[in-house]
Amino acid sequence: MNVSGKKFSQESIGSERCEELEKSSSFYQKVYSEIEEIGWEPLRRLGGDLTFFSFHILDEKRRGHVLEIQLDRDYPKSPPSVSADVPFMFTLDWSISSRLKDVMFQFHKHLDNLQEFWSVLDDIDKSLCVVDVKQPSRASPVRRIDAGNDCILVVHINFDDPKSLPECRFIGPAPPAMHMNNLHMIWRRNSKKWSKEKSFPENLECILGTELPKPQGLQEEDDHQQVECGICYAQFLPTDEELGTRSGTRTDYTCENISCNKSFHSLCLTDWLRSITTTRQSFDVLFGNCPYCSDPVAVKISNK
Amino acid sequence: MATSASPSNKALSKIACNRLQKELIEWQRNPPTGFTHKVTDNLQRWIIEVIGAPGTLYANDTYQLQVDFPEHYPMESPQVIFLHPAPMHPHIYSNGHICLDILYDSWSPAMTVNTICISILSMLSSSTEKQRPTDNDRYVKNCKNGRSPKETRWWFHDDKV
Repeated sequence: MNVSGKKFSQESIGSERCEELEKSSSFYQKVYSEIEEIGWEPLRRLGGDLTFFSFHILDEKRRGHVLEIQLDRDYPKSPPSVSADVPFMFTLDWSISSRLKDVMFQFHKHLDNLQEFWSVLDDIDKSLCVVDVKQPSRASPVRRIDAGNDCILVVHINFDDPKSLPECRFIGPAPPAMHMNNLHMIWRRNSKKWSKEKSFPENLECILGTELPKPQGLQEEDDHQQVECGICYAQFLPTDEELGTRSGTRTDYTCENISCNKSFHSLCLTDWLRSITTTRQSFDVLFGNCPYCSDPVAVKISNK
Repeated sequence: MATSASPSNKALSKIACNRLQKELIEWQRNPPTGFTHKVTDNLQRWIIEVIGAPGTLYANDTYQLQVDFPEHYPMESPQVIFLHPAPMHPHIYSNGHICLDILYDSWSPAMTVNTICISILSMLSSSTEKQRPTDNDRYVKNCKNGRSPKETRWWFHDDKV
């Protein structure tokens, strides 16, 4: 009696397990074929059970974006959840017959809508001295700009109308310095002069009637055309026995994040990535993060 | 045997030496407000004078920072301590060790002596009372023989100060 009972329950577990496997294999097949429709090239990460992956996507201006997609086990009944470095997410239009390429399509459309917003941000990041510690993010509409004399200008860009007069605050040393009070007054008095025809930095300088500090990187790159490595600060690696044939080589790796664009010697970047524990290695490629903007980087380990 | 307070005495690598020279030039061209680098011929150990920012608890106080660079700087962070007497601050121990994540786990070669100084000054400026960390005595006792703060396993928990 006992034995047969046990057997019975084993069989039922077996068939449940079969059903589950069948379900998951059809899930895998579906996800695979849908990724194939998009293409494997933009795929950056893929979770082992195919419920999580991310795509690297270039927009019109070739800015890189990472779209992360999370699937529920009963996909496509429940829509995928998506996240990306955008100031706000689009509402996903989803039906049971929708596919991942539809998500891609909608994300691309969303990116297109944000082009003007990012052009304004890029303009600010390129020509003004943005003081955020790390590389400013594309998701944030806020920029903190050095206005000279220890005064900081905090601007909030309106993403629906990025070229309009931004919300603006001034932060400075306490007690408020003359300089800051002046800037604040001038801003209030002149804000009518804001013009959508002019670029954002031009507008700021025009309203404040003063030249704002330029970003350090820009000044340096103007000084000498050659690009220095963001880690060792040299254009060429030193001549050293230990470095072998790589002695004296130029920077040969550039961060793909367009607004970062830092150059490195792959040797320096490899040395750095090897010295921290979060780096992953697959065959001869190291996967880690850019020390400047934290975007993913992948460097091939070069042999001497 | 006497142990020296400096980390390892290995000379700077060529790469470290080159980078530090550039950092020093940039510092001389554009020093962070409130800091003075004391000129010496030692590139591997910088002594930097700090003046507390006006309007803060440390206004007009002067302190000295000692920055020691490892052989493979900037792949490793420099060792930064306050020389005696260290400022009274909830994250600064009486032996000069500083509890600040960028000096240890969060270090990245994108940072420089200049950005470290700014972080330290900002840490001082946001303090609301001149006080030692609560575990000061225990910590300092454990650090005898000039142990480097880089050997401490820091636990960063308070981002307000």
